[in-house]
Amino acid sequence: MSTRWYPIYQKGGPQLRVFLPNFWMKLIKPPHEQPPNIVQFACSMEMTKYDIKNYLEKIYNVDVVHVRTRIGLGKTKRDPGLGYVVKADDTKYAYVTLPKDQEFKFPDLFPKVSTVEEDYEKTIKQTKDGFKDYLDKNKERPGMPGWFTV
Amino acid sequence: MKMSLFRINRALVPRFLPKSSPLSTSLSPENEEYNTTPQYPPILDLSREKMLERKKEAIYDEIKSVKTVEEKQIKLNMPRYYGFRSYMVSEDEIYYNDLSFIQHITRTHIIKNKGLPDYYNTIETDNIAEIRNGIEEALLMELDAFQKFHDLKNAELSDGDKENIITNNVVQQINKVLTNNLVQKYPHLFSNEVDTNPRLETAWYVGGINPPEIVKKSRRGSELAKKYENDPVDRLLYYTGSPSLTVRSELPLPLLLTPSEAENSSFDVPSFSYDPRVFGVGIEHRYMANIPGFWPGDSNSFGIISYLKKGHLLKRSQRIKDEEDNKNALDRQAVLSSYAWLHAQANFLGFTTFNDITYPLVTQTVMTNGKEFNFFIYQLNTILLHSKHIKENPKRNICWSSESFKLYEEVKDGKIVGLNDETLSILVKLYSNTPSERLGVNLRPYLGQKEKIIADYQDDEKREWLEREYKFLVSNRPRFQEMPQIYSYEKIYKIDHETRQMDKRRRFFELGIKPQDRKLNDRLGRYIPRAHRPDLPRHKGKLAKEYWP
Repeated sequence: MSTRWYPIYQKGGPQLRVFLPNFWMKLIKPPHEQPPNIVQFACSMEMTKYDIKNYLEKIYNVDVVHVRTRIGLGKTKRDPGLGYVVKADDTKYAYVTLPKDQEFKFPDLFPKVSTVEEDYEKTIKQTKDGFKDYLDKNKERPGMPGWFTV
Repeated sequence: MKMSLFRINRALVPRFLPKSSPLSTSLSPENEEYNTTPQYPPILDLSREKMLERKKEAIYDEIKSVKTVEEKQIKLNMPRYYGFRSYMVSEDEIYYNDLSFIQHITRTHIIKNKGLPDYYNTIETDNIAEIRNGIEEALLMELDAFQKFHDLKNAELSDGDKENIITNNVVQQINKVLTNNLVQKYPHLFSNEVDTNPRLETAWYVGGINPPEIVKKSRRGSELAKKYENDPVDRLLYYTGSPSLTVRSELPLPLLLTPSEAENSSFDVPSFSYDPRVFGVGIEHRYMANIPGFWPGDSNSFGIISYLKKGHLLKRSQRIKDEEDNKNALDRQAVLSSYAWLHAQANFLGFTTFNDITYPLVTQTVMTNGKEFNFFIYQLNTILLHSKHIKENPKRNICWSSESFKLYEEVKDGKIVGLNDETLSILVKLYSNTPSERLGVNLRPYLGQKEKIIADYQDDEKREWLEREYKFLVSNRPRFQEMPQIYSYEKIYKIDHETRQMDKRRRFFELGIKPQDRKLNDRLGRYIPRAHRPDLPRHKGKLAKEYWP
């Protein structure tokens, strides 16, 4: 289903247009703990439970046992400059139950990699250790300049 | 004149300072004042958890010491004026794959497809032939004659509704025939009471469930509570249902397992720690009402048999095409209904969700659509499931679940074909199972000696006041003034973003009032018009006396 208007035919325009449907579904990492066979989606507001079931079954061959939907209220915030309140759009969420022997785990999209700060701390530690070594080596010869030892 | 900070003018504060008279000292005998062995107060664990636990235990003991059933129920409800946030589970709304959840909240081990417990083999069933004729006649009348022309004509009825109507009628007839035929041999059936479509509701606390995100967030915010972030939080479960027919008697059914056998750890119960809302379980504000289908004080207060309808399963099996799960749905419904019925009965015997039962209770549950019969025997060993007890309580409730039996094959040319004697004999056994006295067991240990229900109170005013309060709590009617709510404009423009500084702060959330925390007795007594007051000064006797437990 598409809500786009079919434009009035103009000379030279295409005879037939195909519009893609409005329907979309987005996998979401569930904020609350859920059994492994329940998957959470954000989807377009027009979709009904039957649409969601058909969408997953017919396009993606996913076995769907049960669908629950709710409409989440959009967040409000104040405009930083003028101070009026603006509201984000509402979102429809779908909780899809798979057969009990199937599970879905939301993938770890951003596995932990070492950050710049960690790298910096590592370098500092190395430098400190090096200086300590140098001091230990020259314990017996106070006042000797650094360049003296090869 | 020199002034001292510590000098007190005795004439000004005569009431607060004791008059000292140096000559009079109280002399007491030496053996009263001193002991040979020193007596110390008990040493208490002062950790946060233990302190909280002791505080709660004190409240539970207070509930335990309340004398009558109705007062106990009012006492349970004291913390909430507008009712508790309850997770609603119902008899006919069965979620996909929720058996482990139901087993967790009822702490039930299911013994499946091993037939009825051995105890039932000892019950004799001889005069089946007589009963057979009676049952055949009754079935024919209900299925072939009466139904066709009356109740089922309504075009708006769904298949499930039609099945339930047939079930109700068939079950009533079966109960009638069996009781009439067996009453001579088993006189206990004579005094039994029968309820049709009773209202069955009960509420109980269950622990071991993960905290909701909002609780975790608040715990993370506090330095003290940070380490308890993932500790489980108790939930109040509220069951609503309506069996087709229930039979009650004066005495409890005999035990199938001794209490020590019920502690066997091989009776495993699955643990379910997700928030029940993952299935779509809803939340409502409800009073903790326990309604087994009769009023407190009924002489027949022990349930024997309950018949459950299963018309709703027709629609479920169309929606959920998983045969195994549809079979589990039967167990789920029977376990929950049996637990709820026994729990509500236990409340009328003076036990509560905080004070465990001191002896097991047994009930027999039959689930039927008029043709297919499933039999369940349930032994309630514990109702203590809140907080730590869900992990530490060694007792488990046991449910024996039989396979499915057919009562007859079909109705053909005005005759019943293939009436199954096995099904009939099990039904006969359920009715022949004679309730007996539990020797040496006080059936109502937590109720008063003299006054067990409020009807035992002599004081008219007190009795009427308690009855009105109790009946209000179980009636599930809303308060005359409902809980104040925050309107959307207030949430956006007053709470989330402070855009209306000039508005007068008069609403409850601007005054720091939490309506959900209002206590049950946080209100004024009933107003007495002047004409009804005794001859007192104008400002006295305006409000009626209240009798909060």
